[in-house]
Amino acid sequence: MKHNKPVNSFCGQVDRRDFLRTTGGGFTSLALSGMLGTDGFPGNQAFAADGMSTFKNPLAPKVVHMPAKAKSCIFLFMYGGPSHVDTFDHKPRLYDLDGKTIQVKTHGRGGHKNEGRIVGPKWSFKQYGESGAQVSELFPHLATCVDDMAFIKSMTADSPIHGSAMLMMNSGRILSGAPSMGSWLNYGLGTANENLPGYVVMLDKTGGPISGAKNWSSGFMPASYQATVFRPKGDPIMNLKPYGDMSSKEQYRMIQHLNHFNGRHLADHVGNSDLAARIASYELAFKMQSEAPEAVDVDSEPEHIKRLYGLDQERTEDFGRKCIMARRLVERGVRFIQVYSGGHHNDNNWDAHADLKTNHDYHAGNTDKPIAGLLKDLKQRGLLDETIVIWGGEFGRQPTAEYAEGTGRDHNSKGFTMWMAGGGIKGGVSVGETDELGSEAVVDPFHVRNLHATVLQQMGMDPNNLSYFYNGLDQKLVGVEGAEPIHQIIA
Amino acid sequence: MFRTLHLRELFQIVLALVLFSSTAFTQETSPAESSAPSHWAFQPLTRPLVPQMSDSSWAQNPIDAFIFNKLQEQGLSPAPDTNPATLIRRAHYAVTGLPPSPEAVQAFVAEYSEERYEALIDELLASPHYGEQWGRHWLDLVRYAETNGYERDSMKPHIWRYRDYVINSFNQDKPYNDFVQEQLAGDELENAGPEQLIATGYYRLGLWDDEPADPMQGKFDDLDDIVSTTANVFLGLSIGCARCHDHKIEPIPQDDYYSFLAFFHNIQGFTRGKDMARSILPSDQEKERKDQISKNRKAINDLNEKLQGLEQVFLVRYREDHSTFGQDLAPSDMTEMHYRFYRDSFDVLPDFDMLRHENEGDLPHGFFDISVRTRNTHYGFVFEAMLTVPEAGEYTFYLDSDDGTRLRLDGDEIILHDGVHGLNNEQKTTLQLVAGTFPIRLDYFQKTSGLGLKVAWSGPGFERRPLSFDMPELDIPKLVQEHGAEYLSEKELKQRAFYQKRLQDRKNFQVPGEFALAVEEFGAEAPPTHLLTRGNPHAPGKEVPPAFPTALGGHVPDLPVPDIKSTTTGRRKVLADWLTRPDNQLTARVLMNRIWQYNFGRGIVRSANDFGVGGMAPTHPELLNWLAADFVEGGWTLKRMQKMLLLSRTFRMASDRHDANYAKDPDNNFFWHFDMRRLTAEELRDSILAANGSINLKLGGESVYPPMPKEILATSSQPENAWGKSPVEDHTRRTIYTHVKRSLLAPLLTDFDLADTDSSCPVRFSTVQPTQALNLMNSEFLNKQAVALGNRVREESPDDMDAQLTRAIALCSQRQPRANELEQAHQFIEDMKRDFGHNDQTAIDRFCLLALNLNEFIFLD
Repeated sequence: MKHNKPVNSFCGQVDRRDFLRTTGGGFTSLALSGMLGTDGFPGNQAFAADGMSTFKNPLAPKVVHMPAKAKSCIFLFMYGGPSHVDTFDHKPRLYDLDGKTIQVKTHGRGGHKNEGRIVGPKWSFKQYGESGAQVSELFPHLATCVDDMAFIKSMTADSPIHGSAMLMMNSGRILSGAPSMGSWLNYGLGTANENLPGYVVMLDKTGGPISGAKNWSSGFMPASYQATVFRPKGDPIMNLKPYGDMSSKEQYRMIQHLNHFNGRHLADHVGNSDLAARIASYELAFKMQSEAPEAVDVDSEPEHIKRLYGLDQERTEDFGRKCIMARRLVERGVRFIQVYSGGHHNDNNWDAHADLKTNHDYHAGNTDKPIAGLLKDLKQRGLLDETIVIWGGEFGRQPTAEYAEGTGRDHNSKGFTMWMAGGGIKGGVSVGETDELGSEAVVDPFHVRNLHATVLQQMGMDPNNLSYFYNGLDQKLVGVEGAEPIHQIIA
Repeated sequence: MFRTLHLRELFQIVLALVLFSSTAFTQETSPAESSAPSHWAFQPLTRPLVPQMSDSSWAQNPIDAFIFNKLQEQGLSPAPDTNPATLIRRAHYAVTGLPPSPEAVQAFVAEYSEERYEALIDELLASPHYGEQWGRHWLDLVRYAETNGYERDSMKPHIWRYRDYVINSFNQDKPYNDFVQEQLAGDELENAGPEQLIATGYYRLGLWDDEPADPMQGKFDDLDDIVSTTANVFLGLSIGCARCHDHKIEPIPQDDYYSFLAFFHNIQGFTRGKDMARSILPSDQEKERKDQISKNRKAINDLNEKLQGLEQVFLVRYREDHSTFGQDLAPSDMTEMHYRFYRDSFDVLPDFDMLRHENEGDLPHGFFDISVRTRNTHYGFVFEAMLTVPEAGEYTFYLDSDDGTRLRLDGDEIILHDGVHGLNNEQKTTLQLVAGTFPIRLDYFQKTSGLGLKVAWSGPGFERRPLSFDMPELDIPKLVQEHGAEYLSEKELKQRAFYQKRLQDRKNFQVPGEFALAVEEFGAEAPPTHLLTRGNPHAPGKEVPPAFPTALGGHVPDLPVPDIKSTTTGRRKVLADWLTRPDNQLTARVLMNRIWQYNFGRGIVRSANDFGVGGMAPTHPELLNWLAADFVEGGWTLKRMQKMLLLSRTFRMASDRHDANYAKDPDNNFFWHFDMRRLTAEELRDSILAANGSINLKLGGESVYPPMPKEILATSSQPENAWGKSPVEDHTRRTIYTHVKRSLLAPLLTDFDLADTDSSCPVRFSTVQPTQALNLMNSEFLNKQAVALGNRVREESPDDMDAQLTRAIALCSQRQPRANELEQAHQFIEDMKRDFGHNDQTAIDRFCLLALNLNEFIFLD
């Protein structure tokens, strides 16, 4: 391979036979890639997918477009859509308007409306830190970290419906079929640890989000780039341990015998790199069996660290455990880790249609301390500088009620808040604004694509230059029309 | 030669670049006008002469002449023939996707001759499993799936009939032009029967977001899916890229996209709550069926009315004696109770809104009431009403049912008690409600044995009150049964018995129907199609007519003027006719390339869905042209072409590496040897089941649900409700019959690069990953199948370790093991027994697991 740099510009077409469509990254070993990449005697599957991607297999670390500020990214996904005006986007006027029906254009699950009954925020706000950031009572612990956080208070997305909005936040498109951000990062960067997957997802204990695996799919890229689901208890990865009563030692013996058979078979097929790679993949799988459990061995953490993440309290134990796992995975070179707060349907996630108070008290209370613990722990280890942390849902919520009575809010994709921290993101800043009701972004609106562009750029890739040729187009995470990173929050 | 091609490609790309840069800003001239004629794939199809060979001893048929000629030009030599054992395995997988039995291999090797090989190919092509293997290839292309994707990922009812249609079409050797016409316009063909309607299920396979943020955008996204897929699959063109602007690489202006879309514009898309299934009975039968159903329904209603009248007479008299009776028959808290009744067999609650109901009506008493059913098994209900919540406060809902139920209040699911189960497992939920009247909805299904539905609620100021009409004391028919003689006259009783008998007869009267998910249009007149500026459906530009792509001649066809009563415009038939014209430049070329690809591992054009300027150039253009021309001249039948490919010497070459050839052509661009390949996900699973003999080779029918690992279910937003259940014997059906749910796929299949179903998949990925090794070594499925293989070899040769090991290897590799392999196997058994304390049985099971992990098992030579 002459280059590993994924290129995209239209003029890059000329070169694409050589490298544009080379698949890269993923979840396997350098040893493997060494074997596959060079002297290959590629089988008939040397080309795949669109019939063009060469299969000079993946996996060597790639040359990045520019110096990377961040090595890893942790996306804390608040599934269901947390209310921005009750968390970080302080709207004093809303308190007075509580219960009043006013003219305001909204587009939510309930369709397009021109007026609605305002629901006053259910929590009070205070300013914190040197930056004086406004944070509601929902997040007493996170409030102590605001000087490390950059708030984007003018986020916008294309859909106020969960299914398509989830796909957009994860893959940049409201339509199913595109690779998710973690897949793009692994495609662009390759692996940093051959013994662990480069893209990990941890789900809520109540279940996955709607559309399930589509949210961490590799879309039109090979499955090597899709996320591996890690579980916080028991075996972290499916099929990691030998089945039944087989011991690890016994399995190793089995692999040795298997290698004998496969070695003999290989001798009849000199130079077939697929066969050789398959032999190597068993060694690698075996190594993962010891490495992966160690990587997620939260119990080995000292007590004060466990307390920092809230493992000593029942309600924060679950999310805290996942946050520690995320940090341990970052330490071991995993590129992209997504942790879901909320799963299943209705009030099992942040989708507060009926009783906002109960819903947000519950979900914020479960996650506030663990997330603050994660930020502090990353910082004290010097890891925050090279790790991007993202917080947010697929959209925010309306200032108005959805029903005739009650405190529930409908979905809002025209203005909502997310925050980022670490990985070269400025601390203590806030960009963009919604209107005085929080119904729509009016100052410096940013699209989900800008968020994605920011992550790619911080991790060393040109968001408008990272592409994958598929179905006649150079596909990009930020779309064919491209998107700029959010420069205002980049240090 | 390869170098020349490469340069030509570069030239074409540079040409496209130049054209693009000159038109990007003005959009005045279309690239098509200038570059289209030069591109090879847009040239008229002509039949090249078969090359004369200096030495014709190698060639078996014209295919070989083309291949051999090129090899000679390049100074390459063809690999020798592979051995008969490898050849039969290769042929079996290529044609049927299944391994031969070790006995079949032995017999073939012993009798090997030219005639014997031809007989084998004939036999394989006649096997019904041919259609399963080649149908699977087609299903990849048309992105076949049985759910709609997105939030609800709801079922596509009856869609399996399309899968069976595809399989049967291959097995019947249906001419490809008919196959194309039936899928694109089956309903518009003369004498369209059930088969042709089922074929148009093609239009119903794609993703569908039932809750799009922008419905207009959603509609055009759905049409785009059809346009892109149709162009990819039948023409090998990426027309989809011209949705927002002129294609950046291909000579496909934006006009072409919307002109192509105009053929499909009148199709009725999926609609929420609308039953998209369509009767596939011939129209006269269908009319009669509908008449009978409505006649029967009316008779049932009349009889029910008469019976209820008698019951009322009874009740009036009964109450005179039982003054307390009916006190707990408080008025219902619900009003406007409406029910829909469904007749089908469910294991879990379906998306009733996607199904056709058999019956519907109002229930003035305002209770959920399953007594209005017309049968006692295999049915479902949807009840919808308005519930009055008297005051704000905390309310509890109680639900007990046999079988599954879902209770929704104001659109939100509040209790889900799904699956097949009995009564006495009451579910409840407590909610904060505000005062008001809210829509309430209950979905219910009953499969077999037992039935029952008990719904109640309690709230501020009132104890548990029924919402369902099911308490024994309120069972009026039963009361009448028990006490009728005391309160009704003899005449009334006789009347009642008479009505009951007739009602029963009416209820037992069945009107058979057959449904399929098929295309439907809005009527005879199509809406105008406008070019959408930047693809934005809210910014329509000029109107465009239906027309064929300019790069392929691009004329505007004469459209039929359909009768005003016609249900379709006839436009799709026009498109299908054009696609299947013998002089269509692409249809036959694209298909022949695919047939080549699935037999030889890669296409003559490697970008099988992209024959445009941006696609890969053909490595053997003359061969492809010859195949396409011969295919059309021979009446578009596939088995004849398949046989030619399989009988060619080219197909029979060994996969061995040859150093001198390798140095010149490492990518095997010239087919100097056969490329090894890994089994596909489906072939792998089927082969595992074939090895241990558990495979159930039943053909066709509704899709099945082999058990799904709980770890995978846990990734669903409704883990308890994510996957169905099938009888055990269906767990080992061929993989093509496994239910395809877009959001929930079996890890064994995804690990081994199952086709993505969101868009057309022309070539499977073939990755090597450690997760594959983990699955094959550690998964429950593999370990259980290994034990089944152990059981098989033990049963076949009890107490004979040597025979058992020999057989295990033979079942996985279809050949007899060599002495040193057998020695290695015995060594393994010794190790297992000595070092890990296993008995013979476990040691053999372990060996079977090893055998199912062999490279030789998973790769084809």
